[in-house]
Amino acid sequence: MNNQKLILTEHLSKIYKMESTIVAALQDINISIDYNEYVSIMGPSGSGKTTLMSILGCLDSPSSGSFYLDGVDVSGLDDDDLAVIRNHKIGFVFQTFNLMPRANCIKNVELPLIYAGVPADERHERAIKALQNVGLGDRMYHKPTELSGGQRQRVAIARALVNNPSLIFADEPTGNLDTKTGEEIMKLFADLWRNGNSIILVTHEEDIAKHAKRIIKLRDGLVIDDNINPTPIYI
Amino acid sequence: MKIFEIREAFLQAFDSLKSNRMRSFLASLGVIIGISFVLLMGWVLSGLDKAMSDSFKMMGVDVMYVDKFDWAGGKSWKDVRNRPNITLRQAEKLIESLTDVELAVPVARKWQTEIKFAGNTYNGITSQGTYYQFGFTPGGTIEDGRFFTQNEDQFNSNVVCLGYKVAETIFPKGDAVGKEIKIEGRKFLVVGVIKKQGTTFFDFLDNIVYMPLSTFMKTFGKFRRTFSIAVKAGSVENLDNARAEVEGKMRIVRNLAPGEENDFSINETKAFEAQVATIRAIVWSVGIGMTLLSFIVGIIGIVNVMFVSIFERTREIGIRKALGAKKRIILMQIVFEAMILSFLGAVLSFIFTSLIAYLTGTIVIQYVPEVSFLSPYMPLDLLLISSVISIIVGIISGLIPAIRASNFEPVIALRYE
Repeated sequence: MNNQKLILTEHLSKIYKMESTIVAALQDINISIDYNEYVSIMGPSGSGKTTLMSILGCLDSPSSGSFYLDGVDVSGLDDDDLAVIRNHKIGFVFQTFNLMPRANCIKNVELPLIYAGVPADERHERAIKALQNVGLGDRMYHKPTELSGGQRQRVAIARALVNNPSLIFADEPTGNLDTKTGEEIMKLFADLWRNGNSIILVTHEEDIAKHAKRIIKLRDGLVIDDNINPTPIYI
Repeated sequence: MKIFEIREAFLQAFDSLKSNRMRSFLASLGVIIGISFVLLMGWVLSGLDKAMSDSFKMMGVDVMYVDKFDWAGGKSWKDVRNRPNITLRQAEKLIESLTDVELAVPVARKWQTEIKFAGNTYNGITSQGTYYQFGFTPGGTIEDGRFFTQNEDQFNSNVVCLGYKVAETIFPKGDAVGKEIKIEGRKFLVVGVIKKQGTTFFDFLDNIVYMPLSTFMKTFGKFRRTFSIAVKAGSVENLDNARAEVEGKMRIVRNLAPGEENDFSINETKAFEAQVATIRAIVWSVGIGMTLLSFIVGIIGIVNVMFVSIFERTREIGIRKALGAKKRIILMQIVFEAMILSFLGAVLSFIFTSLIAYLTGTIVIQYVPEVSFLSPYMPLDLLLISSVISIIVGIISGLIPAIRASNFEPVIALRYE
């Protein structure tokens, strides 16, 4: 398929049933994202952006509608199939870094490769390379607790990239960082995009969202705006 | 399931136990106690078994005793008591008629005889009268001196062979041979000491003195006495043959009509086995009860800690799942954790109980000779069995928390604080 999209959703919705009330976290979401796009999903808390990211990131399944990732319909897959998709096609960068505190940087970066069944030698090599690419070549044997916030987020980015995913999700990646460090991380994402990666940035901050080339705005579970950002920062 | 998955799950499990040593130890305490019970119990029983079989070997596994009484106690006491005595005449008739055995001698016993030496009185000793051929049976093997001779037998000489314990008690210096002792007021010359026969549980075997049968009857009286006949089959293989012959011939001697019940018993070392089997069964059932109880406590302990541990690590599990860990990897990791926990508990028990066994077998034994039947080493098969038990206990207790953890929803787990 020449016109295959990286992400294509049709009438996607997510409904939570809580005791007596029904909450529609997402309603009729129809979005399409191409390969090597840099997109922000933006909205205040409660807008449904985290729910959308969870579904697009294959961490959760939609209540109805369909979702094609890389041409594959993933809305009907079971937990283990989704785990394989997450492992091979998606890299996550979280606000709270979500590193394994007891493992050193290399071990942390190796984790997705372990679950992919990559042999130990190759794993080690690729983890070292990924860490060098984010500028942590001299911190590889440190544990996360021995690193600064910015360095931790770099480890997380190296981990997200190490298995060559089709798509990188960044969920408030600068939320736990000071402004200067946050900017450095945003520069890194711009570099990643230039190197051909597809990036989806989830944030509630306008300033951060403006780093992307396209901004999708959510409110109350609905897409209210989906526009090209004419002036992306660092790009 | 791939090898790398197992390896990874194993390493992760080990790692997370290491980071929580104290809790891991407390969690496996139940298992430690349970396995220790199993080991100590098995150790005592195996000591008992060995002591028993050693004694049987000494007494002769191919030896049987034709007796008025039944040693195993299986028959009604009243019936047995009312059996007619076996007279010396009957014993001799039986012995003459036997063809398929190596040796047969009559034996007469007198319980609770009194021995005097150098102004001291010793009680509770069994006097046994027999033929000189008894010296050829395992029960008559000499440690020091000699058994009495055919001559002494014929001329009812006042000579006596002392059982090992009797000699040890009266002559602690080991100079029994050549001494004169008094049995029931008569003087006897000690000609030999019999080799140690029994162990802690069968020391009555060493509490016997042997004298010629003629001397015995002269000393204790000839009448109103029942004799037994010691029969040595020659080999274990010939035991069935010999038993059949002895039974048939003895029925003839006793004039029993076909169909009439035996009015005598043929006792073998097996009779003891039956008695000891009862003791074993009691020890086992009490032990098994306690063991089961401590394993239940052990399982609850581990399940509890595993639950605490998985909820504590909810977020970590969420991250692993987000990065592509399948359910079975998470499941294996938790199960391995419980398994290692339980197995390490077992290893601690090995060390602990081996220490007890070693100290008992080397040091305690010097002060408490009654424990001499215990080996200073834990039997290897027990260690293997309890390793397997501990692993099974681990798997059982890890399973429910593991299933729970593997079903964590990644979205929720990731947001868990």
